Amino acid sequence: MKNLKTFWAKILIFLSVMGPGIITANVDNDAGGITTYSVAGAHFGYALIWSFIPIIIALVIIQEMCSRMAVVTGKGLADLIREEFGVRVTFYAMTVLVLSNIFNTISEFAGIAASAELFGLSKYLLVPICALFVWWLIVKGTYKSVEKVFLFACLFYVCYIVSGFLSKPDWNLIAKSSVHPTFQFDKAYIFMLIGVVGTTIAPWMQFYQQSSVVEKGIKLENYKYSRLDVIIGAFVVNIIAIFIIIVCANTLFANGIRIETAKDAALALKPLAGQYCFYLFAFGLLNASVFSACILPLSTAYSVCEGMGWEIGVNRTFKEAPQFYSLYTAIIVIGAAVILIPGVKLVPIMLISQATNGILLPFVLIFMLLLVNNKRLMGKYTNSKFYNFCAILIIVTMILLSLFLFFTVFIK
Amino acid sequence: MNTLNSTNNIHISAAKMFIFFSQLMDKPVLDKNGATAGEIYDLAVKASQVYPISDALIIRQGFPNRKYALINWGDIEKIDSEGVKLKIEKSVLNFNQIHDEKKEFTLRRDILDQQVVDTHNHKVIRVNDIQLLVVDHALMIAHVDIGSRGLLRRLGFEKIVDLMVKLFNPGAKYLKNEHLISWKHIQPLAINPVSMTIKIDLPQKNLLSIPAADLGDIFLDLNINHQIALFKSLNLVNKTKIFTNIDFKTQNSLLEELNDFEISELLNNIPSDEATDFLEKLSSEKTKHILSLIENKYSKRLSQLLGYSGDSAGGLMTTEYIAFTKDTLVQTALDQIRQRKFKSEPAQFIYIIDETQHLISATNFRRIILANPTEPIQNSAFPKTYFVRLDSSIKEVAYLMEKYKYFAIPVVDENNVLQGIITVDDILSQLIAFAWRRLKRIKIMQKT
Repeated sequence: MKNLKTFWAKILIFLSVMGPGIITANVDNDAGGITTYSVAGAHFGYALIWSFIPIIIALVIIQEMCSRMAVVTGKGLADLIREEFGVRVTFYAMTVLVLSNIFNTISEFAGIAASAELFGLSKYLLVPICALFVWWLIVKGTYKSVEKVFLFACLFYVCYIVSGFLSKPDWNLIAKSSVHPTFQFDKAYIFMLIGVVGTTIAPWMQFYQQSSVVEKGIKLENYKYSRLDVIIGAFVVNIIAIFIIIVCANTLFANGIRIETAKDAALALKPLAGQYCFYLFAFGLLNASVFSACILPLSTAYSVCEGMGWEIGVNRTFKEAPQFYSLYTAIIVIGAAVILIPGVKLVPIMLISQATNGILLPFVLIFMLLLVNNKRLMGKYTNSKFYNFCAILIIVTMILLSLFLFFTVFIK
Repeated sequence: MNTLNSTNNIHISAAKMFIFFSQLMDKPVLDKNGATAGEIYDLAVKASQVYPISDALIIRQGFPNRKYALINWGDIEKIDSEGVKLKIEKSVLNFNQIHDEKKEFTLRRDILDQQVVDTHNHKVIRVNDIQLLVVDHALMIAHVDIGSRGLLRRLGFEKIVDLMVKLFNPGAKYLKNEHLISWKHIQPLAINPVSMTIKIDLPQKNLLSIPAADLGDIFLDLNINHQIALFKSLNLVNKTKIFTNIDFKTQNSLLEELNDFEISELLNNIPSDEATDFLEKLSSEKTKHILSLIENKYSKRLSQLLGYSGDSAGGLMTTEYIAFTKDTLVQTALDQIRQRKFKSEPAQFIYIIDETQHLISATNFRRIILANPTEPIQNSAFPKTYFVRLDSSIKEVAYLMEKYKYFAIPVVDENNVLQGIITVDDILSQLIAFAWRRLKRIKIMQKT
């Protein structure tokens, strides 16, 4: 009886702590992510599924460090960078973060425009409506209410799992290819692999996760639940990514159809997997794009104001936190406006967004590693030796991949 | 040779009275023979009468294997924006892997880029730069810079931006608006790693003069570690001031960090209605534990108050009131009021009771001040006495108080024994919460 009671008590605590990890991970499956996974599935079938196992581990290790820093120090990542590494480093990091997130936001609005076309709506209607909604949600909401909306949005990712089942995949083959890495020494394959890894671990995520754990005021004694939140988030997001790959592999790859975007994928699905699968896929894209278009500008404004020492909004008025609201509004306006330019080319925007992410990520990861091992900040909660070994291994791999990606973008 | 250095004075170029800490940081440090010893890393200060004064310099050398050395202020020949010249040779410097953590506080570690409390504007701010005053032998902290100019100076863009602004808009606010805040209004939040408290200097009493509600707001802007450290550093008066002005969640997490003695000390000193408000929201086990910690008499009263429903008169009342038996002389009553200490500000009413605590009548300060001191207090009582019962609803209480324009109303039990009083601010906070909910509902209805 008592065991049962403590079990429910634990569940309750988890529910109160849950949020930051799951939300951050899910935003990761944004318009860009869905595009990457669709293309990966369409062009390489199940051949890339194995890579999600190391990705899950890497994601958990990186995000767990953020979560731990947030709970122990009670400060955001930008706060800590400013306090430990000074204003100059912070300023340049924030500049790149703003740039990279502007491009990321543009690609989210591109996702909204694409889903508008899939549903037969005009993008000139849906994009401004979504932009207004996103702006209104944060300006009028509180942290608690916004988090609830976000967690609700996470539920809609189930679309992809359902559409995965609708495409009647070969489960035996999937199981085999996920535990049996097959590496192809082919330029396109390596590019795709880097793309998949790069889209899953992006620099804004660390900032967002840490700020939202701080905002939630999670206590040290409940930290283990916060860690569970991170782990669940990492699994959920990657399982959904795998399902996107499955849908595309099962239909498009099997029929040898080449695609460029998520929109192509949805359109190609219609004759092959049926009406429902098409609608689910398109709705998933819309949900993911709107959801990420909320979080990216918010996370950017939050981090920049933290780092520069400006008042942070959400519960304040425009007059009290002018920089916060200006930045937040500007990113949404730019993101939506660029998409509304007739005949705008999206491929260069995607490339720049990848390149800026690639520049920033190594720095962010190195800062994190230095911060999390700082005894004065973290006390006895620094990384263990083994944890540090894993973290360094991941960080070195990520840096090499980012550098590779960065150079190929510009040398190509 | 030694005659050159025989004077104890340090020459600081007198041309500039003020210097920014950012203008000193990373500047070269030369020893007595002109050899480079390192670069300026940090400045340790010690408290003095008004402004903290330079105590030691921390210099740094080597990359990537950085080493730090502490230089006593007396060993410095000259310091300005060009760098530092020492009186000693660099071979006597003791370089270490870590810089001295024991110093009370240093500018780079504890002030620059950190959050501090601005006790003048009642805000938590981040320090962009520190302005130092050059006083013959030493540097004093004069102001902290929290403006965009301080940011640009740190980034090395100040001159370029200044030039641009002057070129396009010579009258711009930017050029005149120095966002400098005097150090006397600044309360640093550096947590001492040993005692885990924040040092509140004598001249920093300003923190204590902030109105309670504002202090609560500032407090909520801090992160949890700073909250705990600051709370532990305050005296009891300010602890209670903060505790009664923050939300339940923060109250609860603070309490978890305090030991039993601190909890009992705190709760013994907050007004009984605030204490019951807080205890009501805790789990019954926690409430029991806390009640067991605090003074026996007080805890009895609290647990009695906790027995009443939150929106009945019994739940709203405070047990702090002024009462005298009917034969007490006015002079005696006044003397006793003067001597008594109150946890909360009692309303202006005085109640008159018999030997067994039955409520007879009421009077107020004005009436007894005007009364003849040698008369019994009963003679100055109001002609009629209004009261409510323990189970009266908040609406009844509010109605009576509004009708008779009372600031407080007594609460009696079924035998007319005086139990406590309800003051207008207790009612107001309840009504405001109620009005807010209504307002929200109305707003939502208007939207849909």
